[in-house]
Amino acid sequence: MLSIKQLEFSFPKSKSVANKNDANFNTLFNVDVNAGEILSVIGPSGSGKTTLLNLIAGFIQPSAGQILIDNNDISGLAIAKRPVTSVFQENNLFPHLDVFTNIAIGIEPSLKLNESQKQQIFAALENVELTNLEKRLPKALSGGQRQRVALARALVRKHSVLLLDEPLAALGPAMREEIIDLLKQLVEAEKMHALLISHQPEDALKASTRTAFINQGKVLKIDNTKRLLKHSDLTEIKNYLGEA
Amino acid sequence: MKIGIIISLFLLAFIAVPLISLFGASDLLSSQKSTIAEMWNSTYFRRVVFFSIWQAFLSTVLSISVAILVARAFTRLPRFPFRHLILSLFGLPLVVPAVVAVLGIVSVYGKQGWLPLGENLYGLTGILIAHCFFNIPLAVRLLIPTWDTVPEQHWRLASQLQFSSWQQWKHIEWPALRENIPSIALLIFMLCLTSFAVVLTLGGGPRSTTLEVAIYQSLRFDFEPTQAVILALLQLVICLTVALLATRFSKLPDVEPNLNSHQNINQVQQSLGDKITQPLFIIFATVFVVSPLLAMFIDAINGPMLEVLTDGKIWKATAFSLFIGLVAASLSLFIAWFLLNASAEASIKNKPILSQSMLLSGSIIFVVPPLVIGTGLFILLSNYVNVFDWAIGIVILINGLMGLPFIIRTLGPAIRQHKMQYNKLSTSLGFNAWERFKHIDFPLLRKPIGLSAALVATIAIGDLGVIALFGSPETTTLPLLLYQRLASYQIPQAAVTAAFLLAISLCLFWLLEKVIGGKHAEH
Repeated sequence: MLSIKQLEFSFPKSKSVANKNDANFNTLFNVDVNAGEILSVIGPSGSGKTTLLNLIAGFIQPSAGQILIDNNDISGLAIAKRPVTSVFQENNLFPHLDVFTNIAIGIEPSLKLNESQKQQIFAALENVELTNLEKRLPKALSGGQRQRVALARALVRKHSVLLLDEPLAALGPAMREEIIDLLKQLVEAEKMHALLISHQPEDALKASTRTAFINQGKVLKIDNTKRLLKHSDLTEIKNYLGEA
Repeated sequence: MKIGIIISLFLLAFIAVPLISLFGASDLLSSQKSTIAEMWNSTYFRRVVFFSIWQAFLSTVLSISVAILVARAFTRLPRFPFRHLILSLFGLPLVVPAVVAVLGIVSVYGKQGWLPLGENLYGLTGILIAHCFFNIPLAVRLLIPTWDTVPEQHWRLASQLQFSSWQQWKHIEWPALRENIPSIALLIFMLCLTSFAVVLTLGGGPRSTTLEVAIYQSLRFDFEPTQAVILALLQLVICLTVALLATRFSKLPDVEPNLNSHQNINQVQQSLGDKITQPLFIIFATVFVVSPLLAMFIDAINGPMLEVLTDGKIWKATAFSLFIGLVAASLSLFIAWFLLNASAEASIKNKPILSQSMLLSGSIIFVVPPLVIGTGLFILLSNYVNVFDWAIGIVILINGLMGLPFIIRTLGPAIRQHKMQYNKLSTSLGFNAWERFKHIDFPLLRKPIGLSAALVATIAIGDLGVIALFGSPETTTLPLLLYQRLASYQIPQAAVTAAFLLAISLCLFWLLEKVIGGKHAEH
């Protein structure tokens, strides 16, 4: 299990390095994610969603709290030592490298691969349904295909935490559904702990059994997605959904 | 828009008429073929052509290679002590008159200098050092923003994927840099190819002469206009070829680039070698840029300061220089204002070809060396008037027009943006042209206007190109006075003159940028 306990972060007084969209307030997060689960994270712009992911990945340092994976605290580890893979909204792929190399670089940055590693990449490509596209450059792929390549890289890295920072934002409705189905399948099969940030409540409904609502740097509620979105009494959630 | 078209036509005519006059004078199409063949077969001519290209090529390769190392170090060390100050100092060579820098370089690397480079600094070595002095800082400032074009996600991926320094370079930095390097390299190549004052003062003789200096010598000393014309046309062909190559690369370097550091680079892995060498690169580059200026100031303090500063010549030359600088800047701004507004208007009205043509007419002067225009005007006017009587006017005109490409780069994007944002509103409020300039345009655009004026005035004040051709004892500017003192080996007097010229240039730059640019103006 991935457990975020009392994780605090204070924004610097000047420009925030965490996320330029985040407001200047202190955050305090408490979240648990089970193996094989995608926990959706929703909330207004600037509420601290990306800050939570940046803290887990190590891009910014918490002032207090713990990030536990199966009871091992990773909050003191360097970025590269954390068992974490991030998938961003865009720029996940290096534009000058083909699909195969973009995935390979996730296993071995020197690109000196053995036969078994190559097989892993082909298997991952098959998993994300991109067989035969390994020689293509990112510019020759659709938005959805690029995100699939990023997911294939996450697969070959075999890290237990998958952080998805609005990976669906640039995709059309049909493509979103396809990627969500793929995500669910991969996360369950690999027993990953995934956090998915999305601005669309429908994505949370489709992707996650549980959803966390964040506001002003705090997790206000974690609940069954349907219950949280359809039957919540919290004014903040109603405001967010435009129901207040 | 009409006024923009008229200005464009005037600019094209201003370049075309001297060129036609050059053609006419050379008689290239009829009887002088033997002259061309004779010149082509002469060892001197071939050496001049070869040396012009060779020194420009070497200067470019050296400047870019060192600049990449230094720029990379700057981006990886965003908290390096005095980073902001050092990068501001790197902006200095843009406004330091070439002849002043030459004197500083001689003080550091000359036979009697702090760090003598062999027996003779004059020749290719001296030229390369001077060109690197000017172009390494320029290239560093132009290259640094390239690191900001790398998406922050790539740095984050690199840190998650444990990229080594080499892998960061190979997969992230080089792919971004290679997009920008050709345009920066061509800019530096062009600057070195047309460099005049450096080669004139540090060339040291016919073995190290470039086309630009050979044109000057043909006109001023050998009285061989035909030879000057052929050299000028050849120079023009080479410059146009380089400019045509440059058009293949759409990314034009910024005059005032954003030099803020990319915070996310900090998170990627840095090897021990990187940690040791990167500060060294910055220190080396800083010492390389600062030492000539420091040496020159020390020489000036130890020189005959009172004697030079109480001499009427220096004050007369100062008055001429300030006059040339200020009038050239005003002229340049005046022309650029109408041209840029017309171009922006054409762009808004969906006439991109007209808009681009106007900008091109203002920039084309960059590929025609001022000495070529000067030569054409010299030959044309000498049929009707005593050219030396018109020296100041011609120098102002050429310097003013030479400033246009800089203004187009600094002010152009701001005017375009401004026009797109406020054109409809301003028009709907019914302002007349003056009210609009006073209440809307100037307050919003004063910062780039101030920077443009400061740049053009400072470059004009330090110019030793056209004035060397047209100058006379009655019309001596500070750079010309400095050159005369250098040429007659009055080195202590030259050092004081150089320090004085630099101080005047920097004060003028600061003053114009602050006064016109307002309190928010920044270097």
